[in-house]
Amino acid sequence: MKSLSNRAYGMALCAVLATTGLGSTRLVNADETTSQLRDRSIGYVTTDLHWSVYQTPNLSVDCPDGLNGNGPRETFKALFPQGGPVETTQLAREGLKVFPQDKQAQFPYILAKGPVAIGLNLDGKVGPNDFVSPTGETGINNQFFRVIGCNAQFRSPDGQLQLFANKLIRSFGFDRIMIEITQVDSLVNADNVEVTIYRGRDPLLLDATGEKVAPGGSQRVDMHYGKQLIQHMHGRIANGVLTTDPIEGVWPWAIYFDVPTVLHIHDMRLNLKLSSTSADGLIAGYTDVDSYYHWLTSWSTHHLAYGRLDPSEFYWALRQNADAYPDKDGAMTAISSAITVNMTQVFIEHTDANPAEPVQRTADAAH
Amino acid sequence: MQSVREISRARSTGLFGGAFWAAVAGAGALGIAGCTHFLGDHGAPGAATTENLGPQDAGTPPRVRLLTAQQYANVIADVFGADIKPGTPIPPLRRTDGLLASTSASVGVTAGQVMQLQRSASAIATQVVDNGNLENQLPAHRDYLVPCKPKADHAPDDACAAKFIRSTGRLLFRRPLSGPKVDEFVGRAHRAAEELKDFYAGLSSVLEGMLVDPMVLMIVDKTEPDPAHPGRRRLDAFSLASRLSFFLWNSAPDDAVLKSAESAEINTPAGRARVVNMMLASPRLENGIRAFFDDMFGFDDFDNLSKDATIYPKVSGTTLKDAREQTLRTVVDHLITRDRDYRDLFTTRDTFISPALAAVYQVPAVPGWVPYEFPPDSPRSGILSQVSFLAVHSHPARSSPTVRGKALRELLLCQKVPSPPPNVDFSILEDPKANFHTARERLTAHRSNPVCAGCHRITDPIGLALENFDGGGQYRLTERGVDIDANGSLDGKDFKDPVGLAQAVHDHPGLPVCLVKRMYSYGAGGPLTDADNPELAYLNQRFAASGYRVPDLLRAIALSTAFSEVAETPAAPAPAPRTASLPASQAVAQ
Repeated sequence: MKSLSNRAYGMALCAVLATTGLGSTRLVNADETTSQLRDRSIGYVTTDLHWSVYQTPNLSVDCPDGLNGNGPRETFKALFPQGGPVETTQLAREGLKVFPQDKQAQFPYILAKGPVAIGLNLDGKVGPNDFVSPTGETGINNQFFRVIGCNAQFRSPDGQLQLFANKLIRSFGFDRIMIEITQVDSLVNADNVEVTIYRGRDPLLLDATGEKVAPGGSQRVDMHYGKQLIQHMHGRIANGVLTTDPIEGVWPWAIYFDVPTVLHIHDMRLNLKLSSTSADGLIAGYTDVDSYYHWLTSWSTHHLAYGRLDPSEFYWALRQNADAYPDKDGAMTAISSAITVNMTQVFIEHTDANPAEPVQRTADAAH
Repeated sequence: MQSVREISRARSTGLFGGAFWAAVAGAGALGIAGCTHFLGDHGAPGAATTENLGPQDAGTPPRVRLLTAQQYANVIADVFGADIKPGTPIPPLRRTDGLLASTSASVGVTAGQVMQLQRSASAIATQVVDNGNLENQLPAHRDYLVPCKPKADHAPDDACAAKFIRSTGRLLFRRPLSGPKVDEFVGRAHRAAEELKDFYAGLSSVLEGMLVDPMVLMIVDKTEPDPAHPGRRRLDAFSLASRLSFFLWNSAPDDAVLKSAESAEINTPAGRARVVNMMLASPRLENGIRAFFDDMFGFDDFDNLSKDATIYPKVSGTTLKDAREQTLRTVVDHLITRDRDYRDLFTTRDTFISPALAAVYQVPAVPGWVPYEFPPDSPRSGILSQVSFLAVHSHPARSSPTVRGKALRELLLCQKVPSPPPNVDFSILEDPKANFHTARERLTAHRSNPVCAGCHRITDPIGLALENFDGGGQYRLTERGVDIDANGSLDGKDFKDPVGLAQAVHDHPGLPVCLVKRMYSYGAGGPLTDADNPELAYLNQRFAASGYRVPDLLRAIALSTAFSEVAETPAAPAPAPRTASLPASQAVAQ
């Protein structure tokens, strides 16, 4: 049998090589930093999104007072120990979830207190409420961390929102957000690059384990429903890190099937460590509180209960810690925040952008 | 409608059981023997020809071949439609003289396989006469696969049964059923319908019996005296139709081919030429070409192929499935659609690509299969640099120049590389102080052992030129931090990279000769002997004269005298295969 004899022929040799460790190989591209550049551009697709939370193992730094314990079940039990008519108890509390009142919380809400937070210096200043980044950068604006940092929903590894909101990034096409960086001569240093945000149309390419997203997949740009999501940013690459100028941005992130939630982020900017296969870093800016709250409450109350997050109490905490974009009455409407993002290299196909363009571009293929 | 249990009981009460199993077992034994008997004697007038059809005294032994799994699936799909699921009742074959198909005339059918065949037959027969399911949007196959409506669903209808049996039996047996045979089947359908109180259950029982009939499961070469060559014998018209059909289509003859056999047109040179041209123009030719090259390239190895996901994360099961498909698409497009030079298959940059493969090739793609051309400066040149060849001839966790070189010599050049000796000394490679970085370093050290050097000198200089592709077919420039040296040589021709190897293979005189040998062997249904050399010489000349066009080669084989004529003398034992070797003066490429 040819197949067996073929294999058997090299088997004796390979078996020895394998056991001695000599048989392993390592894929190395011609130029690890530029091998994926095509026409001075490179694309990445989002594979993971998490609200940035700086955690210490025993809560000692970030949450010395412990984690929040007043979720929907706890507050309901405290407010209505004897129960009561549905409309004045359950429905009343559920109504508050949909139409939260901007008033003093009825229960203690534990804020993160540590000095360290993940994020960016959004205003270029170092203020008294600012954090220090884990790497020592001062002036970090992330008041949102103060609100969510001590809530189990948002903490890794098993916070409900951390887990399931991220899971939909890979499985739900609505969240298939990509960036295309153009005018790139090098992924290490490039003074002027343009970044465009698109939504992709295709499933992610999983690797052989079925668990990870493989670089080198292809995505067609969604020019139908996704057209309104296209956003342009100007930026630069220094020492392999992309930074962009702030824009009034939106970032689609549905966390529940069939509920197309979009975050509105003032002064949205990207800070991403680039490689030929991945882009990892932060989406930062001032997140509009109401758009965020709508995002959060697209989850049912029972889901929020798993993290002991009472929506109306949480809304109050959000408004109290909002730190930008005051309304006509001086109340802040946005909160400084950061989202940790992981992206994988992808080839972005503009087939819908210009139907006259050939389906397959071949001239730009290196090999 | 009867229950399954009732139908099974009817089938087991002797309506069809014992005689069929005995017949199948008998045919199995026949197959084991590699039968060369003259099985028939149905004369048909021939006609003399002035066209050069190869050596007039050449011929092939008549054989009894078991359908391959793919042939069985194709027959069922062609006769009943692709939505009839046949299962996989026929096991894979072992490879003989470079082809799986060459083994089909020398395999047996075990009792266990007969059971599998019977299960598949039962499942197929049930599907063919089923009444559909509106809720599941399944069609009533009986409405269009049974060519008539019975007078009553719950009673026999001999006229309608005969119509079905005659038309379906003709396609399955690949020749018309005789009147007594039709009557026998109708009688069985009648008794079964009566007992089961279901006309379609009766038909199903008969069809199940047909599907396990040895004359359906085996391609039997029946012969007859050849009026054009007094004293010699030829395949009868229907056997010739089957041989042509399984050669060109990898399936049974269709209605048009059978008609040409029924009218004996296929026995005349002009008629046979018309039939062959018609078959070459048929869309079914793609099935035939795919089957042949899948066999010749050893792609059955894909059925058991897996890669280490941690080392080759981009090479998933989908990638490997697509890799096989990519090369077969390339073959069909290059050889049939574009009618290009066979040798150019090994240098062409035209191919097709899917999203999973595009990730390995590091190029963009859109969903589905699309034409793709590797750019002129790409190291990917020809099918040897496609993921299929590179991945299937590697180990799960690393490439293998030895395996690749061996595969190239054996599969594409029809050379035989000796197997390794039983007690290979790996002490040099096992030395923990040795710090080998690349496959070239390891193999160079290994070749210092003279026992190993002989064979590795034959294989390694070829395979080392493909070391720019890892075991998953991905391009690379270094291994373990050391630049890869892709220099190599093939039978006196040196090259420095995979593109050079591709050109060397393209120019190798053994390349087209090997294809001719494999293709003629494939068509004739078994391994060749020295007696076939004149025919091979003729076909090689025809192939070269055509500019190495495969459709021309197919036509030359299909029309050759040897293809339909019975070999005059019993086949001599197969000669020992030629062993690849290097000229003594030639240095080994490092």
